[in-house]
Amino acid sequence: MLNKIIVAVQKSDFDLNSEMETLKLKTEKAGAVVFFVGKVRDLEDDKLKYLEIESFEELAKSQIKEICADAANKWDLEFILVKHRFGRLKINDNIVLVITSSKHRKNAYEASKFIMEYLKSNVPFWKKEVADKTQKWVENS
Amino acid sequence: MVKVKLKYFSRIRETIGKTSELVEIKSTNIQDLIEELQAMGEQYSVLKGRDFAVFSAIDQNIVTDVKTSIEGATEIAFFPPMTGG
Repeated sequence: MLNKIIVAVQKSDFDLNSEMETLKLKTEKAGAVVFFVGKVRDLEDDKLKYLEIESFEELAKSQIKEICADAANKWDLEFILVKHRFGRLKINDNIVLVITSSKHRKNAYEASKFIMEYLKSNVPFWKKEVADKTQKWVENS
Repeated sequence: MVKVKLKYFSRIRETIGKTSELVEIKSTNIQDLIEELQAMGEQYSVLKGRDFAVFSAIDQNIVTDVKTSIEGATEIAFFPPMTGG
């Protein structure tokens, strides 16, 4: 059982370089590291003022821990980190960070995708786009 | 009658107009609870899920069956489809 799993649901931003340094200290046997970052994007037909992300924090954290444990059972991983933000975010602000690390790249890539797919519709976060002309809750596409 | 904390998120929170409340209920499952809440006010009809699917979590465990028992629960949350990532 992989014991290097870090999960956070937080308002504050994350720093990619410092996460990489933390990871290096814990994964000397890993040769592959996959970073996935989800960030706030502008809209096609309106100008985004901000994205409001609401969360059910305690449940979100436990759901993410569960999916990380599932990923650790499916793939041979050295390290998993998931940090998901909530609150009011602007265009280009970071939303989510998923880091997976394994000896070779295949496991890290596959586990990263698996975790992200799950996050999209199974973890209690809700996004509201507040733009110049409209505001609406985001629906899953 | 038992007291339970109800939590609302996203569109449901906006429609009901509060993030949480402590209510005395007699229902023993989610479906009955939604009916019981509707009798308290029209705003609770959002929980019927006509415009979007409504999810619930009993003591922080997501449930999909509205017939799931809520007996002994201290907290029940209602929310629309999740849109993380």
